[in-house]
Amino acid sequence: MNVVAGFKVVLDDTLIKVVNGQLDFNVPLKVSNYDKNAVEEAVELKEKYGGTAIGVTVGIDDRKSIKDMLAMGLDEVRVVKGNYFDALSTAEAIIEATKDVKTDLYIFAEQTTDGNTSSVPAMLASLLDLPLLSYVKSLRIDGRKVIAERSLGLNSETLEAELPAVISVTGEINKPRVPTVRQVLEASKKPIKYIEFSSQPKVKIVELNPYVVNRKRVIIEGNMKEAVDKLITYLKEDGVL
Amino acid sequence: MTRAVVFSEDLNGFKNAASLAYSIANEVYGVGYNDVKYTDKLYLIDRTEEDSIADFISSINANLYVFGNSKKDKIIAAQVAGKRKIGYIPDIISVEVSEGKKVIAERVAYSGLAISKLECELPCVVTVSKSFGEVKERNTQIERVNLKESKIKVIESKKATSSADLANAQIIVSVGRGLGSKDNVALAEELAKILGGAVGGSRPVVTELGWLPEDRQIGLSGIKVRPKLYIALGISGQPQHLVGIKDSKIIVAVNTDKNAPIVDNADYVIIGDAVEFLKTMIERLKAK
Repeated sequence: MNVVAGFKVVLDDTLIKVVNGQLDFNVPLKVSNYDKNAVEEAVELKEKYGGTAIGVTVGIDDRKSIKDMLAMGLDEVRVVKGNYFDALSTAEAIIEATKDVKTDLYIFAEQTTDGNTSSVPAMLASLLDLPLLSYVKSLRIDGRKVIAERSLGLNSETLEAELPAVISVTGEINKPRVPTVRQVLEASKKPIKYIEFSSQPKVKIVELNPYVVNRKRVIIEGNMKEAVDKLITYLKEDGVL
Repeated sequence: MTRAVVFSEDLNGFKNAASLAYSIANEVYGVGYNDVKYTDKLYLIDRTEEDSIADFISSINANLYVFGNSKKDKIIAAQVAGKRKIGYIPDIISVEVSEGKKVIAERVAYSGLAISKLECELPCVVTVSKSFGEVKERNTQIERVNLKESKIKVIESKKATSSADLANAQIIVSVGRGLGSKDNVALAEELAKILGGAVGGSRPVVTELGWLPEDRQIGLSGIKVRPKLYIALGISGQPQHLVGIKDSKIIVAVNTDKNAPIVDNADYVIIGDAVEFLKTMIERLKAK
């Protein structure tokens, strides 16, 4: 079983602040939240069924993030470096970076914390003409079939598809492991391959502006009874109660 | 511009997408499961699998493909963009067409911290995240189509258990880890009942702790809400939660930690225990 897991290095969204009306993007990098779940799932499948688990990342090249993912158990990581890729060119870059791999399953997170478009898995599936199982919260492999449970909010479904397939997973699917010291040390010996790929993105970013909703930020003091009474008065004045 | 194609699995999403489509295109084709009359032409389809629908939609020649904003709508939209190898801008909150050949649209990104303005040459696929106004009924020409078989087999399909309509609720009592235990959720339910509202929760409460069913999860990977009053109890306010409540008119936060991010993102803050707050609030409202 050969599994490819996509992960993206992003700016830490919990640390991005608005400074003087501008977004301050001078923050540390991290692997996008649920992408660790995608990597974990790939490693678990490899441990269960044998084969390889290869990571692929497109965009920012960050040694630490890549090593962290290798330490979780990926066999190698493929990197396509570049300043800007839209969703379509990201999917194309992933295909280019893994074209020599006989992939049974491509696994991604349901979305990344920067773009939040949830679209790369769907685009990859379309470009490769493969079945797409999205928002998967549990899965199992049965011979050449993948059986997955997913939830789209209002209903949950059990789906089945033939391998090879593309999957996007939600945070519920597993608990990403914390690598041991030994795994961290071993990670530095694992291969990282750089692949050249460039493509003209169809979607360009023209501007990025802070999205600020100004709140009143009234701290209500006093004991709970007084605080609740004050709150009720405020809410009535605002016409929401 | 000439032609747009519209799809959404739900009627409101379909009408909204059609409204946006008519503001840009002269001719609008709809694709749907139900016989509705809001487009010049409607392809009535016989399957609900995403890939079958995406295959069909991408076979229609158009300049703009407009979708609703449900998860399913967006999966289909991204597949259409992939099949046609064209640009994709989901969750748009504003749109204009420049010189008849480029779409310029705004959407929220970075877990709700930024609004990005994006540009895409036509043809382009968009999904619609905000109301773009009413659409009038038309003399729709209907054509039935049989879709290609899907690569996916649906073995089982279950409707969610709870029926809370959070997306349209006017008052939401929302619970986080700080509520302490599942038993205390009953107090939140009681307050919501008194206020005529609904109970929702943060992601950990739904997915890790299982205090609430999945369709009550508010935030980036759950539901985006827009109530007039949002009461956040014991919710710290991670960006992934804040993005889901940004359109609330008034946000109240009750939290023991005065440094929690929710404090800077609320209108009224009570520093204190969420359970004590619930008990006091219920008592006060009942007394009136």
